Amino acid sequence: MTEMSSPEVMTGKMKEFGITEQVRKNRIRITTAPDRVHYAIKTLQAMFGFDRLITISAVDNRTTLELIYHLTGPHRMVVSIAVELPRDLPAIATVSGFLLSAAIYERQIHDLFGIVFTGNPNMNRIMLNEDWPSDEYPLRKDWKPGPDTFYGGIKVKRS
Amino acid sequence: MAVPAAGLSQRLVNWARVRSPWITVFNSGACNACDIEIIACLMPRFDVERFGILAKGSPRHADILIVTGPVTLKQASRLQRVWEQMPEPKYVIAMGACGAAGGAFQGLYHVMSCVDCVIPVDVYVAGCPPRPDEIINAIVTCLNLLNEDAAHGGKEWRQKKVCPVTGTDAETGKVIP
Amino acid sequence: MPEVVVSIGPHHPALKEPVNFKVVVDGEKIVRLELDLSYNHRGIEKAAEQRDFIRVLPLMERVCGICSHSHSTAFAKGIEELMQIEIPQRAQYIRTIIAELERMHSHLLWLGVAAHVIGFNTLFMWTWRDREAVQDTVEEMSGNRVHYAMNEVGGVRRDLTAAQVTTALERLPNLEERIKKYVDMVNTEETMLIRFRGVGKISREEALRYGTVGPTARASGIDYDIRRDDPYLAYADVPWNVVTDTNGDVYGRTRVRIWEVQESLKIVRYCLENLPEGPIHVPAPKNAPKGEILSRYEAPRGELVHFIRTNGTDKVERVDIRTPTLANWTSVAMCLVNQNLADIPVIVAAIDPCLSCTSRITLLDIHTKKTGVMSLDELIRRNRSRDHGQV
Repeated sequence: MTEMSSPEVMTGKMKEFGITEQVRKNRIRITTAPDRVHYAIKTLQAMFGFDRLITISAVDNRTTLELIYHLTGPHRMVVSIAVELPRDLPAIATVSGFLLSAAIYERQIHDLFGIVFTGNPNMNRIMLNEDWPSDEYPLRKDWKPGPDTFYGGIKVKRS
Repeated sequence: MAVPAAGLSQRLVNWARVRSPWITVFNSGACNACDIEIIACLMPRFDVERFGILAKGSPRHADILIVTGPVTLKQASRLQRVWEQMPEPKYVIAMGACGAAGGAFQGLYHVMSCVDCVIPVDVYVAGCPPRPDEIINAIVTCLNLLNEDAAHGGKEWRQKKVCPVTGTDAETGKVIP
Repeated sequence: MPEVVVSIGPHHPALKEPVNFKVVVDGEKIVRLELDLSYNHRGIEKAAEQRDFIRVLPLMERVCGICSHSHSTAFAKGIEELMQIEIPQRAQYIRTIIAELERMHSHLLWLGVAAHVIGFNTLFMWTWRDREAVQDTVEEMSGNRVHYAMNEVGGVRRDLTAAQVTTALERLPNLEERIKKYVDMVNTEETMLIRFRGVGKISREEALRYGTVGPTARASGIDYDIRRDDPYLAYADVPWNVVTDTNGDVYGRTRVRIWEVQESLKIVRYCLENLPEGPIHVPAPKNAPKGEILSRYEAPRGELVHFIRTNGTDKVERVDIRTPTLANWTSVAMCLVNQNLADIPVIVAAIDPCLSCTSRITLLDIHTKKTGVMSLDELIRRNRSRDHGQV
């Protein structure tokens, strides 16, 4: 059962996950480590009543890549769990085992940022076309289209 | 070059084509606003079916291809294949700001921004999206072109040699600065 | 057995963008569905990082032509909140009027398309003709039938004159009559009941688990509407109700949408009659302070989320757009399993997809390993001509 607490009380209780702050009257932001994410989300689902995943956002911070999971529940609070991943080997375990709706967002983030979600069975291309080179991630800050690389489309004008 | 005078059967065929052009729509990655304006043409408010214009799903049955959207990289080869499947005489209308030079999406990384680089375009319609009235105007312009082409014996008399957007030469494929 | 029909053509213009499905079938029953959305990917999120706040709003509008005001408002209100500026009441009301008019035109559009998919072209023509009344109103107010460009960071760009308000109010009674007729039709018309009832049913627990949003979720009994859960614009002042249904199938979604049109009409009427006086925009600073915000908005299709991060300049650092159709795709994939092949068009159309129109469907029979290609047109014709035993 969820206890209808005020956001201040909830913020206090969530401090065990990591750095917690209440950024707006109904939004709480938690910063945590990659290996604590599963524990955090499962506890939030079970004890705090956050049963719905809104989305997973990914940001390129130039030195790291950041993943943010947004959850909400019937009490209309929103919690955002932020995780930082190293740039050269960004990998995190998938949450789609217990949050089914996460699968499609993880697939999209993998396509555009290159973050590897270990355990997700379907990592096929969803956003970029099939001819896109496999190691270029367009939404990273340091990506620029190479002048000679072929990204898909057609090269030759019609005859 | 002397163009042979069209025989009666040929004139009859041209007359039938002008009186009832069938269109097909290809969405090459658009935001959908243009597609909705095209469908609004077929609805009771603007009602182009009274002119004999039908929207067909297959390009093999169509006279006019309407292309919406800045051509995304994925759709470019499909667009070319669709155009090749159309029987002559065929005409292409490139809709809106996207069809002209990519519109709001010019230069984005997954977009080609130039319909003319993929298939030869006959009519451009301005707008974002163009109103249904303007779309009907474009189809009528196509029909006038059909008549003129029939009088000249083909399309060669007005073929563009250089793509107006990117400056690519039609024969060699090189960009002319 | 899937037929080998080579049909690479674009789909009938009655449906929107192209997307590719790979449907794994066992005879006539669907086993699995795979999705490929790259036909429409344009790279908007990356381009938004290089445009300042005035130039990025037209780009945001053109993410989608049907819900264009949704994207631009979600973005503008996110930036306004980061800049900590309050826009005047009149601007809130004008934004609400346009938002609800957009919802009405989108739902009427959807009703026509759903009717077309089952072969009921009369309703297709009727709803799109009535939709023109909404388009005329919006055109008078903003200058364009789609892509209204009413928003700027700090308020709205155009004011409503008294004459525009009067004309808009005069159009509403006729529209109300027509919509009452559609509500009756949805509930009693045999053609629609046979095709919609029992098709694509999702239970409440499943809908919650798959993360569905919008009318698809509300038709399964989930009470989730951002206009009430996280109020923005003028929704806290206007008396209106959240519409839910318990059917959970395509019939339930149709009912939810047509009732929502009625609610939207009431909201528009209230806002037009009670439009407060005052300025329509406040001057906004050029740069946004460093920060992060999750801007949620109830688009016609469901919950639209813009996650915006700014870095102190006049451009965003990152805007991450989660469209409602992306959230609803999982539910389509799951609820198509064990349904009939011919039900695909109806079920896909029922989530009101804003990026779905199969240009080509690849069918893979898992027993014989044969592949066939069928266009959605073929599938729709097949859908109509079959004797649908389900009621």
